Amino acid sequence: MIFHDLRGFLDELERQGQLVHVRQGVRPEPDIAAAGRAVTDLGEASPALLFHALEGYGAARLALNVVGSWANHALMLGLPKTASVREQFHAIAQRWTRFPVPVERVAEAPFQDNVTTEIDLFALLPLARVNPMDGGFYLDKAVVISRDPDDPENPGKQNVGYYRLQVKDKNRLGLQPVPMHDIALHLRKAEERGENLPVAIAIGTDPILASVASAPLRYDQSEYEMAGALAGQPYRVVKSDATGLDLPWGAEIILEGEVVCGARELEGPFGEFTGNYSGLRRQPVIQLTRALYRHKPIFEQCYVGTPWTEVDTLIGLPTCVPIYHQLKADFPEVEAVNALYTHGLATIISTRQRFGGFAKAVAMRTLSTPHGIGYCKIVIMVDETVDPFNLAQVMWALSTRFDPAKDMITVPTASILPLDPLADPPGIATKIILDATTPMAPDRRGDFSRPVEIPPGTREWTAILGDLWAKAKAGER
Amino acid sequence: MSAICPRCDSAKARRLATAPVDGAWEIFGCPVCFFTWRSSEPDSITDPKRYDPRFKIDPQRIDAIPIVPPVPGKRPQSS
Ligand SMILES: [Zn+2]
Repeated sequence: MIFHDLRGFLDELERQGQLVHVRQGVRPEPDIAAAGRAVTDLGEASPALLFHALEGYGAARLALNVVGSWANHALMLGLPKTASVREQFHAIAQRWTRFPVPVERVAEAPFQDNVTTEIDLFALLPLARVNPMDGGFYLDKAVVISRDPDDPENPGKQNVGYYRLQVKDKNRLGLQPVPMHDIALHLRKAEERGENLPVAIAIGTDPILASVASAPLRYDQSEYEMAGALAGQPYRVVKSDATGLDLPWGAEIILEGEVVCGARELEGPFGEFTGNYSGLRRQPVIQLTRALYRHKPIFEQCYVGTPWTEVDTLIGLPTCVPIYHQLKADFPEVEAVNALYTHGLATIISTRQRFGGFAKAVAMRTLSTPHGIGYCKIVIMVDETVDPFNLAQVMWALSTRFDPAKDMITVPTASILPLDPLADPPGIATKIILDATTPMAPDRRGDFSRPVEIPPGTREWTAILGDLWAKAKAGER
Repeated sequence: MSAICPRCDSAKARRLATAPVDGAWEIFGCPVCFFTWRSSEPDSITDPKRYDPRFKIDPQRIDAIPIVPPVPGKRPQSS
């Protein structure tokens, strides 16, 4: 199933019992943050929420937790909502290889129904403080589109990414461009030229673009062409007549403006995916010039805080898959990559081994992948027979295959994203590799000669019991 | 309409918005530390005396807060 917009996906979630309407009156604070926290705590199949009655905002609608569970994530991919995380990983990894899928260009989009230069974000968007000590109201599930000022016609260098946006006034936003991310490079080039950087902000997009926008693609890879690869159909875009940027056709709301050359203003703090508030920084500012939106637009946000939250589901597999393909290019023995934890600060990799010490080589390569440079503080290596998404199996491997004297490598003063609360100074951390693969010749250690194999017939019995259990749940005897 | 900023105690804060539908609340913003708040939030957010001291800001020290990313120098113009 292909979803061209957020509305189409919400309809599918509703059909699948994965959307909860909140029609009772709620206060923006503290109800939205509390509900956002509570819904992810409902577990791996938690539903999306659609609020219809926020105090002071009339009939404005706010969606939360749209891709906040593995069930919703599976539906986004067109898989059954019961698909395992490992199945979803392999589905994305396989579709990833279809990249690039050229975009579908169309002239008109639903968001062109309403166009205004009199922008008042406080009236347009039902804003709510995400965490109590945030420095303001944030847009935290909006994608920012920009291009390379030195190569503006290159579609690959057009970037679509998540950057937190602080609402500072009716038409003014604070922007956090993480130095390792593409928009920071665009901004640096614009400022070197003495120019403002034109940007567009899309709120409430289809879920696939929301997912791809969080992936660590290479600088010259287009998120739209990757969204087409994952969806199995060209991604539909509309060129902005104001900025020339390609805009996602299905967006609920588009904000257009410019990052102001040389301007830096206080931004933050913001409760982040690390489970800590970020520090205060003086950061760039976006001056908005135009807003476009569908009739009765749906505002979309996500709750961010101590994992697990929607952010962890949304960015999880798009983080795993590029690392997997980058490793696989030289080490086809790599089986799967689990970089779900805190955006891959902890990463688990399963691999076959060619010879003794091979897993350690793969781990060291992981540290130097583009994502590994800023994340991958803890890398755990396991055998190909261990499912890295099954933490019980990973802990078994660590407890029986890992020798601290021989299987641990630490890398002092390595690079890390500044948001890591343990970074000292910010941007620097010690990294560690834990090799929990079975030693292989010529590394002869321990006795692994008599493993307990899975009993014959187990697979058949899995099917038999699954069937009987389904009948038991349905009340049959 | 002006107000005291709960975070940096500046008297320059001003009203940015009122509730678009029923006037249920107002939103204020501080031009010194860029804090924004809604009048309907708890005292721990709106009252300068109750704002969590770990998150208070001294306006005198804003100039010492890091600039990220730094503003690069302009490229020489090619002739
Ligand atoms: Zn202030």
